[in-house]
Amino acid sequence: MLPRRIPKWLMWSLLTIVLWGTWGLVSKIASTGVDAYMNQLLYTAGLAPLMVFVAVTVHREEGKLSANRNSGIFWAFLTGILGGVGNIAFFQALVKGGKASVVAPVTALFPMVTVLLALMFLKEKLGRTQWLGLALAFVAIYMLSA
Amino acid sequence: MQLWLWFSVLALVLWGISGITQKLATNRITSERSFLWFCFAMVALSAVVMLIVHLNWGLGRLVVISAIAGGALNGLGAWTSFRALESGGKASIVISLVSLYPLLTVLLAVAILGERLTGLQTMGAFTAITAAILLSVETSAQT
Repeated sequence: MLPRRIPKWLMWSLLTIVLWGTWGLVSKIASTGVDAYMNQLLYTAGLAPLMVFVAVTVHREEGKLSANRNSGIFWAFLTGILGGVGNIAFFQALVKGGKASVVAPVTALFPMVTVLLALMFLKEKLGRTQWLGLALAFVAIYMLSA
Repeated sequence: MQLWLWFSVLALVLWGISGITQKLATNRITSERSFLWFCFAMVALSAVVMLIVHLNWGLGRLVVISAIAGGALNGLGAWTSFRALESGGKASIVISLVSLYPLLTVLLAVAILGERLTGLQTMGAFTAITAAILLSVETSAQT
Protein backbone atom coordinates (compact mmCIF):
# COMPACT_ATOMS: atom_id res chain seq x y z
CA MET A 1 0.00 0.00 0.00
CA LEU A 2 1.40 3.39 -0.97
CA PRO A 3 1.85 5.91 1.83
CA ARG A 4 -0.48 8.91 1.79
CA ARG A 5 1.03 12.13 0.49
CA ILE A 6 2.67 14.07 3.32
CA PRO A 7 0.99 17.47 3.75
CA LYS A 8 3.17 20.50 3.03
CA TRP A 9 2.70 21.88 6.53
CA LEU A 10 4.05 18.63 7.96
CA MET A 11 7.12 18.74 5.71
CA TRP A 12 7.86 22.31 6.80
CA SER A 13 7.31 21.31 10.43
CA LEU A 14 9.75 18.38 10.19
CA LEU A 15 12.37 20.62 8.58
CA THR A 16 11.85 23.06 11.45
CA ILE A 17 12.60 20.28 13.94
CA VAL A 18 15.94 19.56 12.24
CA LEU A 19 16.95 23.22 12.10
CA TRP A 20 15.93 24.05 15.67
CA GLY A 21 17.32 20.76 17.00
CA THR A 22 20.74 21.68 15.64
CA TRP A 23 20.33 25.25 16.91
CA GLY A 24 20.17 23.90 20.50
CA LEU A 25 23.55 22.24 20.01
CA VAL A 26 25.38 25.21 18.47
CA SER A 27 23.87 27.55 21.08
CA LYS A 28 25.42 25.47 23.86
CA ILE A 29 28.78 25.51 22.07
CA ALA A 30 28.53 29.30 21.72
CA SER A 31 27.52 29.76 25.35
CA THR A 32 30.87 28.39 26.51
CA GLY A 33 32.61 31.57 25.33
CA VAL A 34 30.02 34.29 24.85
CA ASP A 35 27.41 35.90 27.10
CA ALA A 36 23.69 35.81 26.33
CA TYR A 37 23.53 39.37 24.94
CA MET A 38 26.47 38.94 22.57
CA ASN A 39 24.99 35.60 21.57
CA GLN A 40 21.76 37.37 20.61
CA LEU A 41 23.74 39.96 18.65
CA LEU A 42 25.64 37.30 16.69
CA TYR A 43 22.43 35.35 16.29
CA THR A 44 20.93 38.39 14.55
CA ALA A 45 24.01 38.57 12.28
CA GLY A 46 23.32 34.95 11.33
CA LEU A 47 19.78 35.94 10.37
CA ALA A 48 20.99 38.66 7.98
CA PRO A 49 21.48 36.58 4.76
CA LEU A 50 18.07 34.99 5.10
CA MET A 51 16.58 38.39 5.91
CA VAL A 52 17.95 39.81 2.64
CA PHE A 53 16.65 36.83 0.68
CA VAL A 54 13.18 37.15 2.19
CA ALA A 55 13.18 40.94 1.70
CA VAL A 56 13.72 40.43 -2.05
CA THR A 57 10.85 37.91 -2.11
CA VAL A 58 8.53 40.27 -0.24
CA HIS A 59 9.48 43.19 -2.54
CA ARG A 60 8.38 41.11 -5.57
CA GLU A 61 5.00 40.45 -3.92
CA GLU A 62 4.15 44.09 -3.23
CA GLY A 63 0.97 43.78 -5.30
CA LYS A 64 -0.46 41.09 -3.01
CA LEU A 65 -0.89 43.24 0.10
CA SER A 66 -3.92 42.45 2.23
CA ALA A 67 -6.21 44.92 3.96
CA ASN A 68 -4.91 43.66 7.33
CA ARG A 69 -1.29 44.49 6.48
CA ASN A 70 -0.58 46.85 9.37
CA SER A 71 -2.01 44.62 12.08
CA GLY A 72 -0.15 41.66 10.55
CA ILE A 73 3.11 43.62 10.67
CA PHE A 74 2.42 44.55 14.29
CA TRP A 75 1.94 40.90 15.32
CA ALA A 76 5.00 39.77 13.35
CA PHE A 77 7.15 42.47 14.95
CA LEU A 78 5.85 41.52 18.40
CA THR A 79 6.69 37.88 17.60
CA GLY A 80 10.26 38.96 16.90
CA ILE A 81 10.55 40.91 20.15
CA LEU A 82 9.10 38.06 22.20
CA GLY A 83 11.26 35.56 20.35
CA GLY A 84 14.39 37.67 20.80
CA VAL A 85 13.91 38.24 24.53
CA GLY A 86 13.07 34.55 24.82
CA ASN A 87 16.35 33.79 23.04
CA ILE A 88 18.29 35.87 25.56
CA ALA A 89 16.63 33.95 28.41
CA PHE A 90 17.47 30.68 26.61
CA PHE A 91 21.11 31.72 26.16
CA GLN A 92 21.27 32.79 29.83
CA ALA A 93 20.00 29.36 30.87
CA LEU A 94 22.87 27.77 28.91
CA VAL A 95 25.46 30.25 30.22
CA LYS A 96 24.28 29.67 33.82
CA GLY A 97 25.14 25.98 33.59
CA GLY A 98 22.04 24.44 32.06
CA LYS A 99 22.83 21.46 29.82
CA ALA A 100 21.59 21.71 26.22
CA SER A 101 20.02 18.28 26.69
CA VAL A 102 17.95 19.62 29.62
CA VAL A 103 17.32 23.27 28.70
CA ALA A 104 16.08 22.36 25.22
CA PRO A 105 13.37 19.95 26.45
CA VAL A 106 12.24 22.41 29.16
CA THR A 107 11.97 25.38 26.80
CA ALA A 108 10.35 23.20 24.12
CA LEU A 109 7.35 22.90 26.41
CA PHE A 110 6.28 26.37 25.25
CA PRO A 111 3.23 24.85 23.47
CA MET A 112 1.65 24.57 26.92
CA VAL A 113 1.51 28.37 26.95
CA THR A 114 0.54 28.59 23.27
CA VAL A 115 -2.29 26.07 23.66
CA LEU A 116 -3.69 27.82 26.74
CA LEU A 117 -3.57 31.18 24.99
CA ALA A 118 -5.10 29.68 21.82
CA LEU A 119 -7.91 28.38 24.02
CA MET A 120 -8.50 31.79 25.59
CA PHE A 121 -7.95 34.14 22.65
CA LEU A 122 -8.27 32.14 19.40
CA LYS A 123 -11.24 30.07 20.67
CA GLU A 124 -9.48 26.81 19.73
CA LYS A 125 -10.79 23.71 21.52
CA LEU A 126 -8.73 21.99 24.21
CA GLY A 127 -9.42 18.25 24.50
CA ARG A 128 -8.74 15.74 27.26
CA THR A 129 -5.49 14.60 25.65
CA GLN A 130 -4.21 18.16 25.57
CA TRP A 131 -5.10 18.62 29.23
CA LEU A 132 -3.08 15.45 29.92
CA GLY A 133 -0.27 16.92 27.85
CA LEU A 134 -0.35 20.06 29.95
CA ALA A 135 -0.21 18.05 33.17
CA LEU A 136 2.69 15.99 31.81
CA ALA A 137 4.48 19.18 30.81
CA PHE A 138 4.54 20.31 34.44
CA VAL A 139 5.74 16.85 35.54
CA ALA A 140 8.46 16.97 32.88
CA ILE A 141 9.72 20.36 34.10
CA TYR A 142 9.92 19.00 37.63
CA MET A 143 11.82 15.88 36.51
CA LEU A 144 14.22 17.81 34.26
CA SER A 145 15.01 20.29 37.03
CA ALA A 146 16.05 17.49 39.43
CA MET B 1 15.08 26.68 42.00
CA GLN B 2 18.29 26.88 39.99
CA LEU B 3 19.01 30.03 37.99
CA TRP B 4 19.23 28.24 34.64
CA LEU B 5 15.72 26.85 35.24
CA TRP B 6 14.27 30.32 35.89
CA PHE B 7 15.67 31.50 32.57
CA SER B 8 14.41 28.35 30.83
CA VAL B 9 10.87 28.93 32.12
CA LEU B 10 11.05 32.60 31.08
CA ALA B 11 12.05 31.52 27.55
CA LEU B 12 9.22 28.96 27.57
CA VAL B 13 6.61 31.61 28.47
CA LEU B 14 7.86 34.19 25.95
CA TRP B 15 8.10 31.67 23.13
CA GLY B 16 4.67 30.31 24.08
CA ILE B 17 3.15 33.77 23.70
CA SER B 18 5.01 34.25 20.42
CA GLY B 19 3.31 31.10 19.10
CA ILE B 20 0.03 33.01 19.26
CA THR B 21 1.37 36.27 17.84
CA GLN B 22 2.98 34.31 15.00
CA LYS B 23 -0.37 32.80 14.09
CA LEU B 24 -2.09 36.20 14.33
CA ALA B 25 0.55 37.60 11.97
CA THR B 26 0.29 34.83 9.36
CA ASN B 27 -3.51 35.12 9.44
CA ARG B 28 -3.09 38.66 8.08
CA ILE B 29 0.11 38.76 5.99
CA THR B 30 2.27 36.25 4.12
CA SER B 31 4.81 34.12 5.95
CA GLU B 32 7.63 35.93 4.12
CA ARG B 33 6.45 39.35 5.24
CA SER B 34 5.88 38.02 8.78
CA PHE B 35 9.39 36.66 8.85
CA LEU B 36 10.84 39.91 7.57
CA TRP B 37 9.22 41.89 10.37
CA PHE B 38 10.26 39.19 12.82
CA CYS B 39 13.85 39.87 11.66
CA PHE B 40 13.40 43.65 11.89
CA ALA B 41 12.33 43.14 15.50
CA MET B 42 15.47 41.08 16.14
CA VAL B 43 17.63 43.87 14.66
CA ALA B 44 15.82 46.47 16.78
CA LEU B 45 16.33 44.33 19.89
CA SER B 46 20.02 43.88 19.07
CA ALA B 47 20.39 47.65 18.67
CA VAL B 48 18.85 48.15 22.12
CA VAL B 49 21.18 45.49 23.56
CA MET B 50 24.21 47.27 22.04
CA LEU B 51 23.08 50.55 23.61
CA ILE B 52 22.36 49.35 27.13
CA VAL B 53 24.69 46.38 27.68
CA HIS B 54 28.48 46.44 27.94
CA LEU B 55 29.56 43.80 25.43
CA ASN B 56 32.77 41.80 25.42
CA TRP B 57 34.15 41.70 21.86
CA GLY B 58 37.15 39.44 22.58
CA LEU B 59 35.68 36.22 21.31
CA GLY B 60 37.01 32.91 20.03
CA ARG B 61 36.42 31.85 16.44
CA LEU B 62 34.42 28.71 17.31
CA VAL B 63 31.94 30.52 19.56
CA VAL B 64 31.44 33.30 17.00
CA ILE B 65 30.81 30.78 14.21
CA SER B 66 28.49 28.76 16.48
CA ALA B 67 26.49 31.81 17.54
CA ILE B 68 26.12 33.07 13.96
CA ALA B 69 25.21 29.56 12.77
CA GLY B 70 22.65 29.51 15.57
CA GLY B 71 20.98 32.60 14.15
CA ALA B 72 20.95 31.13 10.65
CA LEU B 73 19.56 27.78 11.82
CA ASN B 74 16.92 29.28 14.07
CA GLY B 75 16.01 31.88 11.47
CA LEU B 76 15.52 29.21 8.83
CA GLY B 77 13.53 27.23 11.39
CA ALA B 78 11.31 30.23 12.09
CA TRP B 79 10.80 30.72 8.36
CA THR B 80 9.90 27.06 7.81
CA SER B 81 7.52 27.20 10.77
CA PHE B 82 5.84 30.22 9.16
CA ARG B 83 5.53 28.19 5.97
CA ALA B 84 3.99 25.33 7.95
CA LEU B 85 1.35 27.66 9.37
CA GLU B 86 0.71 29.24 5.99
CA SER B 87 0.39 25.80 4.38
CA GLY B 88 -2.72 25.08 6.43
CA GLY B 89 -1.36 23.80 9.74
CA LYS B 90 -3.29 24.92 12.83
CA ALA B 91 -1.27 26.91 15.35
CA SER B 92 -1.80 24.40 18.13
CA ILE B 93 -0.68 21.48 15.91
CA VAL B 94 2.30 23.05 14.16
CA ILE B 95 3.70 24.72 17.28
CA SER B 96 3.31 21.51 19.26
CA LEU B 97 4.85 19.35 16.54
CA VAL B 98 7.91 21.52 15.98
CA SER B 99 8.50 21.48 19.73
CA LEU B 100 9.80 17.95 19.21
CA TYR B 101 13.12 19.49 18.16
CA PRO B 102 14.72 18.90 21.60
CA LEU B 103 14.77 15.18 20.84
CA LEU B 104 17.40 15.97 18.22
CA THR B 105 19.16 18.42 20.55
CA VAL B 106 19.38 15.78 23.30
CA LEU B 107 20.82 13.23 20.86
CA LEU B 108 23.36 15.70 19.49
CA ALA B 109 24.33 17.02 22.94
CA VAL B 110 24.93 13.50 24.24
CA ALA B 111 26.78 12.36 21.10
CA ILE B 112 28.85 15.49 20.40
CA LEU B 113 29.13 17.40 23.69
CA GLY B 114 29.28 14.28 25.86
CA GLU B 115 26.49 15.51 28.13
CA ARG B 116 25.07 12.96 30.54
CA LEU B 117 21.57 13.00 32.02
CA THR B 118 20.46 11.43 35.29
CA GLY B 119 17.80 8.74 35.12
CA LEU B 120 15.14 11.21 36.27
CA GLN B 121 16.22 13.82 33.72
CA THR B 122 16.14 11.22 30.94
CA MET B 123 12.59 10.33 31.97
CA GLY B 124 11.83 14.03 32.11
CA ALA B 125 13.11 14.58 28.57
CA PHE B 126 10.88 11.80 27.26
CA THR B 127 7.96 13.06 29.36
CA ALA B 128 8.46 16.53 27.88
CA ILE B 129 8.42 15.15 24.35
CA THR B 130 5.36 13.01 25.17
CA ALA B 131 3.66 16.11 26.59
CA ALA B 132 4.37 18.01 23.38
CA ILE B 133 2.91 15.16 21.30
CA LEU B 134 -0.21 14.96 23.48
CA LEU B 135 -0.68 18.69 23.18
CA SER B 136 -0.96 18.21 19.41
CA VAL B 137 -2.82 14.86 19.13
CA GLU B 138 -6.30 15.94 20.29
CA THR B 139 -6.44 18.91 17.97
CA SER B 140 -5.21 16.75 15.07
CA ALA B 141 -8.13 14.41 15.60
CA GLN B 142 -10.58 17.30 15.62
CA THR B 143 -9.27 18.72 12.36
